[in-house]
Amino acid sequence: MAGLGNELDQPSLVAGDASAVAMRATGMRKQFDGVEVLHGVDLELRAGEVHALLGENGAGKSTIINLLSGRLHPDDGHIELLGQPVSFRNPMSARRAGVSVIAQELEVVPTMTVVENIFLGAEPTSYGLIRWSEARRQVIAVLQELGVIADLDRIVGTMSVADQQMVEIAKAVVGRFRVLIMDEPTSALNLAETERLFKVVRRLRADGVAVLYVSHRLWEVFDLADRVTVLRDGTRIMTDEIARTDLETVIGAMLGSKSSLAPHAHSSPHAVPAPVTQGLPALQLEAVCCADVLREICLSVYPGEVVGLAGVLGSGRTELTEAVYGLRNIDRGTVYLNGVAAETSEPKQALQHGVFLLPEDRKLEGIFGHLDVRENVILGYDPTRNPEVPARERGLRPISFSAERTAFDQMRAALGIRCSGPGDRITSLSGGNQQKALFARAALAQPRVLLLSEPTRGVDVGAKEEIYAAIEAFAARGIAILVSSSELSELLRLASRIYVLRAGRLVAEVAIAGATEGDILKLMAG
Amino acid sequence: MLGAESAASVIALIAVFVIFTLLNPRFLTSLNIKGIVVSASISTITGLGMTLIIAMRALDLSVGSIMGFSAIVAAQLLAAGLPLWLVIFLGLLIGAGLGLGNGVLIVVLGLPSFVATLATLSMILGGELLITHGETVTIHSPEFGRLVIGDVLGYIPAAALVALVVFGIVWIVFYRMSFGRHVAAIGGDIGAAIGAGINVSRITLGAFTLIGLCAALSGLMTGAELQNADSTIGAGSELTAIAVVVIGGTSLMGGRGNLFGTVCAAVLLASIKAGLNVANVSSLYEDLVFGSILIIALMVDGLRRGTRRKGMLVV
Repeated sequence: MAGLGNELDQPSLVAGDASAVAMRATGMRKQFDGVEVLHGVDLELRAGEVHALLGENGAGKSTIINLLSGRLHPDDGHIELLGQPVSFRNPMSARRAGVSVIAQELEVVPTMTVVENIFLGAEPTSYGLIRWSEARRQVIAVLQELGVIADLDRIVGTMSVADQQMVEIAKAVVGRFRVLIMDEPTSALNLAETERLFKVVRRLRADGVAVLYVSHRLWEVFDLADRVTVLRDGTRIMTDEIARTDLETVIGAMLGSKSSLAPHAHSSPHAVPAPVTQGLPALQLEAVCCADVLREICLSVYPGEVVGLAGVLGSGRTELTEAVYGLRNIDRGTVYLNGVAAETSEPKQALQHGVFLLPEDRKLEGIFGHLDVRENVILGYDPTRNPEVPARERGLRPISFSAERTAFDQMRAALGIRCSGPGDRITSLSGGNQQKALFARAALAQPRVLLLSEPTRGVDVGAKEEIYAAIEAFAARGIAILVSSSELSELLRLASRIYVLRAGRLVAEVAIAGATEGDILKLMAG
Repeated sequence: MLGAESAASVIALIAVFVIFTLLNPRFLTSLNIKGIVVSASISTITGLGMTLIIAMRALDLSVGSIMGFSAIVAAQLLAAGLPLWLVIFLGLLIGAGLGLGNGVLIVVLGLPSFVATLATLSMILGGELLITHGETVTIHSPEFGRLVIGDVLGYIPAAALVALVVFGIVWIVFYRMSFGRHVAAIGGDIGAAIGAGINVSRITLGAFTLIGLCAALSGLMTGAELQNADSTIGAGSELTAIAVVVIGGTSLMGGRGNLFGTVCAAVLLASIKAGLNVANVSSLYEDLVFGSILIIALMVDGLRRGTRRKGMLVV
């Protein structure tokens, strides 16, 4: 049968032969801009297995995938394919060697048909002319083998994402691969489509293919995978057989205890914050639902309170803050701000109501990378809420540079932003100082509700403490703060209460007094 | 091949014929129709090349200049006494060379096609003026003329045959050869094309060389028909070529190409032009009419692709 990856050159690779290694990467190191993001990672993929790769954002999963697929070159370490050392010059040579990647952003040409896409770049020709009949024959055979029915002449752009993904898988199969890397393959699929995908993956496994399955959906991993490897901060923390480990261990490996600020290091005259529950909550969510991502969320944050939001990647943590801020549509339920039902379908409206978000990915969603520090601080909040603060959106009124300068200097002093001047390009500041600049912007916005998503990601230890102090100062001024973070120790340090999210639902509300990381981990894992 | 867009063109064509014949029965004379066929054949040839370029999500604004340049060089070579077949061969070669030059600018300098060909449009035009010193070069070759307006089978102009052959060749290249499929892939999703190992540089060079060839052929045919050549040949043809492709149903967003639609649109536009002429409408209104049709075609294209998004939702 034409090309299903079981036309193997070496007789030693038999379907289900778990001791045969398809691909082995040893001592993988990689750095970007002088910062090492992978510190000597080993990874072994066996023929006929589904090997899951887990890790939080920034753990190094994407980097490893890019190294294995030829998109990047390792600074150190080596890769073996079927026992032979290889060095891929580019993704195409990796593909030709039999390593295929199905990325999150599907690589199909939406304007072309199924057949054309499957054979793109590998069209069967004779005397220069494409033999479409031969191509179609092969496609039908492959689709049959995968258990998928498709109209060969359907324009791929008109198909659902799940079906487009099937086209990509068929493309990889036709290309006769040994290793298939799947990056978050189910992020856009519904339950039925996910089941279909799993069936296909199991068939591929039975044919002796090595599948590297990268996903943050832990329940899927435990359903489908044979072995699992966990990465954290560029290091391999653990590799084990799924049957021999459990969800809690895996989550613990993914999160670990990141900061050196252990919960007991309250050396400063800062006491464990006590829950404040008088009067009206500044922010209240009543049965809020968001498509497939959040269900029946009820929570409240009172003025002056710092409330934590815990949950693994994909639990809906990030999506919750986005929904409150208007970056995501809320399908059902109500958001109350200061007791009044509020409409937040756009960030602009959220800002007008006094809600401010410090996003998770400041590089993409927070800072204006091409502007200087002062402009980053001054721009981006609703000036109508606070007429004394200098703002640019005033139509034809001239910009008052001196007023801006004063405001900036005040903020800089208050937060300890380290830069040589307001004219510094924001990107020249360290991560911690960039984050502080965003806090300064938040301060100028004078919000009533402050949403923080991973507030100390990419921030050095020293700046972390300063940011924590800033958060406490905000709270002291009566601002209600909701902190979403993957660092449990951080939540335990800052919050008086912690909500735990799991698979889009709120499963627990934990009071800080007496709570430990282990308790929360258990709740996150379920 | 016969999609909704082609059907629309055919219906419009019938309507045009009916309307103009009613306005002036002289529209339906064999002389006028032959004129339409010749004109349509010439614009079809460049249009077919442009279809590939637009399918690749690029543009070639220099085709008009390439047309003129080839015609002028051919005229001068004929005047110098070279045999006709050699003149035609060299004329086409020059067109291919100019097209390749466009491709080189785009691939090597990384210039967007719009910018690169806008520049070469002027440069080649300048070259034309330099060669002719602004004068017209006459062609004394009825043999050459017959290759375009001569009758085949009694009443079909030879130009139509040439156009038919070119259509056949381009059709095979676009649909039945990897090169053509890769052209469309690059226009559809360049990331996917690169991921599939397609050599974008090579395909780009090839596509622009091809349209250079087409433009040269159109230019030679125009010169043969007029029996003279100067820098006005081809002036503005790039817009006609693009219009013909878009009205024929090929999307400016790339990824697909409707060759038959291009042919239909070429015939349609040639008919309208001839009709306006016969109806004694000032040629100044011509541009207005063409512009309006183009806007309608673009609107239809836009609606069909229907892209409306609310703000920038993070999903």
